[in-house]
Amino acid sequence: MSRASNFPPPFSTAEFVAEPTDPADERIEVGILVVGAGPAGLACAIRLGQLIEENPDVAERLGEVPVAVLEKGKQPGSHLLSGAVVDPRGLRRLLGSRYRMEDLPTFGLVPAESVYVLTRHTALPIPPPPPMRNHGNWIFSLSQLGRFLAERAEEGGALILPETSAQKLLALHGRVVGVRTGDKGRNRDGGELGNFEAGSDLVAKVTVLAEGTQGHLTGVALDRFGLRGDDPQVWELGVKEVWKVARPLDRIIHTLGWPLRTGKRYREFGGSFIYPMGEDMVTIGLVVGLDYRDASLSVHDLLQELKTHPKIRRILAGGERVAWGAKTIPSGGFHALPSPLHAPGLLLCGDAAGMVNIPRLKGVHYAIESGRLAAEAAFRAFQRGETPASAVASYDAAVRDSFIWSDLYEVRNMRQVFGHGFFVGGALASAMTVSKGRVEVGKLPAEPDADQPLLVTDRDVSYPAPDGKLTFDKLSSVFASGNKTRDDQPNHIRIERRVPKEVAQMWAHMCPAQVYEIGAEDADGTVRVELAPSNCVQCGAITAKGGRLTPPEGGSGPEYTVT
Amino acid sequence: MRFLVFAEQHEGEFVKNSLGVLSKAASLGDADAVVVGADAGLAPELGKHGAKVVHVAAGDDTLAPPLPQPRVDVIAGLAPDYDAVLFGQSVLAADVAAGLAARLDAGLNWDLVDVELQDGELVGKRPALQDSVLVEVGWKSTPALALFRSGAFDPKESGGEPEVRDVDVQLEDFSTKVKMVEQAHAEESSGPSIEDADVIVAGGRGLGSPDNFTLAEDLAKALGGAVGATRAVVDAGWYPYSAQIGQTGKTVSPKLYVALGISGAIQHKVGMQSSGTIVAINKDPNAPIFEFSDLGVVGDLHEIAPKLTELVRARKGS
Repeated sequence: MSRASNFPPPFSTAEFVAEPTDPADERIEVGILVVGAGPAGLACAIRLGQLIEENPDVAERLGEVPVAVLEKGKQPGSHLLSGAVVDPRGLRRLLGSRYRMEDLPTFGLVPAESVYVLTRHTALPIPPPPPMRNHGNWIFSLSQLGRFLAERAEEGGALILPETSAQKLLALHGRVVGVRTGDKGRNRDGGELGNFEAGSDLVAKVTVLAEGTQGHLTGVALDRFGLRGDDPQVWELGVKEVWKVARPLDRIIHTLGWPLRTGKRYREFGGSFIYPMGEDMVTIGLVVGLDYRDASLSVHDLLQELKTHPKIRRILAGGERVAWGAKTIPSGGFHALPSPLHAPGLLLCGDAAGMVNIPRLKGVHYAIESGRLAAEAAFRAFQRGETPASAVASYDAAVRDSFIWSDLYEVRNMRQVFGHGFFVGGALASAMTVSKGRVEVGKLPAEPDADQPLLVTDRDVSYPAPDGKLTFDKLSSVFASGNKTRDDQPNHIRIERRVPKEVAQMWAHMCPAQVYEIGAEDADGTVRVELAPSNCVQCGAITAKGGRLTPPEGGSGPEYTVT
Repeated sequence: MRFLVFAEQHEGEFVKNSLGVLSKAASLGDADAVVVGADAGLAPELGKHGAKVVHVAAGDDTLAPPLPQPRVDVIAGLAPDYDAVLFGQSVLAADVAAGLAARLDAGLNWDLVDVELQDGELVGKRPALQDSVLVEVGWKSTPALALFRSGAFDPKESGGEPEVRDVDVQLEDFSTKVKMVEQAHAEESSGPSIEDADVIVAGGRGLGSPDNFTLAEDLAKALGGAVGATRAVVDAGWYPYSAQIGQTGKTVSPKLYVALGISGAIQHKVGMQSSGTIVAINKDPNAPIFEFSDLGVVGDLHEIAPKLTELVRARKGS
């Protein structure tokens, strides 16, 4: 049986760590550099704005551009996608009395909730298991929340640089001193086009990586500085759609079971979410653990299949799909957290560091809280009596004292137990929750997603044929993500191009954006993998499943607005 | 309403799109044209397409090469006498329009596909949300600046002899700083460019191999048209990027669009859906392209295309 991890991509960490190359007077100097304008990075920038206002004497030492935030998407929010039912703790602590929850771009408090176990034709309601209870949480479009937070960060003096990818980590004498941004205007072969613009060295005393799931430089930093946690990180892939609907939905819904299979040999862990977004919109998504084994599994097509369930078809009846997107979610939890969460000159936060509570399907509040704590640590580096080393180290202590740590500790073994199959895993997970993590099932072994031996079944024959109304193919979905990436640019996806057929099949089915196609077969039974990189919505699944996503030209990828 | 239309010409040939915009302007009000870098010999053709007055800016060598700033200087001097200045989309026109907007501090609506007068006000039509809806746009400032998509209007011959006026050109210092050193054409092609062609024969993955693009080329030649390609085949290196039609390629609207082996993904559709007549040949009866074709042929294009080419040649007697 093939494993994708036996066919590693042409990629080396050394390629993406460099010393600054621009002459000293051409480097762009900033005080604190934040990579990623998501909830973590923007919370960091907002908190820094508050600290600068409160400490004008320290602020002077941050220089002309005290805080810069790099964003690879067209604008903040373009690459943000989540459910999202958000635990308000992070936002409340960040924004304090300045904003009430009602002042944020929210769709309101969770009104009520239901959980169903599905079979093909039935839906059995079950009482919401403790981790799924969402009383007191708020419904958001994370993309919209990102745009709101970006405005607050700019009010606080942060410089946000959209359409700018962070390509290389700049390191000098064992410390991170900033990042190099990606070139723009190269053609497919790497040659310079008329509008070529070379990247720049951005140097800073402290760099905060808040790149989100599958962060490119985060991966590089984990290897370069030996920060990997006890367990390898693992991921789930979520694909979701936003619908305009004829009738309002009066509750949030989670489902378990169908269309996923419960047999242990398939390792299919996941579920769906259906949330109202005001009176006339609904979002529906399916999340599946990427430790699945079946090369014919396609989360996008399973989501299409899910929508044909009578219960769900009724919710969407008379409606119209208005948006689509996909993203991975780190699910390794506590044992996969980087250790420590810092390196010289560098801090890691949010999804990039894997701060997600998988049983609760929540991470936005951890991203915000960790961004806030990273801001405080980074700011300390500029205070008298502090050394940069003691300042960044204080971040680890702050995270350990926060709700991030205690929450993730409580559910530390929850994800792995589902390797036992859905029902056994479900029972163990419930026991762990009810006991607040005191039921020890022992630390379970974790394997990288790409190590799972592949099997091939015929499950893809049951995927519904797209009708363009309820069910959609991948290409029209990529269109609905707003993706209009320039085709004539270098390929940003690193994979081994000649692999056994089942590995190629796995990639082709896995990718929700139809980036991979199975090409010509060779005499030895391997096939060539053909790529359409401009379809890529940068979900990150390929990095989990044996390849490596690097950032394409800044401004590429989806342009999410309501996801 | 008084319109000034930028009549773009290269080596004495007008860009068809700008003639289309002129014809449209003439149907709405008084339309004048401005031609830069050429002599008055071209004026009659603009008159035919509806221009009452043709402003000719020639006589200075700096005006001949297709550089935007000298053109901005010329038009900025004329613009105050007009309610609107209109452009047909091209690389040069986009540069000139943007420069003019900055110079005059006037609003520019771009990517328009139509324009009309509503109660004496100019209203533009602009596709939005990936061409799924058409929005109406207006202007707060004068003159109203507008840039129209390729093929938005057909050139119509309606007018007569125009009055020719020479423009006294005052170039700004900075406008003469850029010199044209060399002009290179990346991809030589015979026949019309795909933006200008009345007929486009486009090939997709259904052609089977790069060599089979000759099927599309032969048919295009017989029809007097240009060859287009889908993103998939450009990605695969079968055909140059300059021929790519679709969301991330060119947007075209020829009178006749023949799609050979093209499935019709929405990314392709948005680049050609405003074509006059769409003919699709595809062996897959479920291909989405049949949903928006005027004529669909389910069959093997390798058999059909050569026969079609022969028939067209026979009919044309060539």
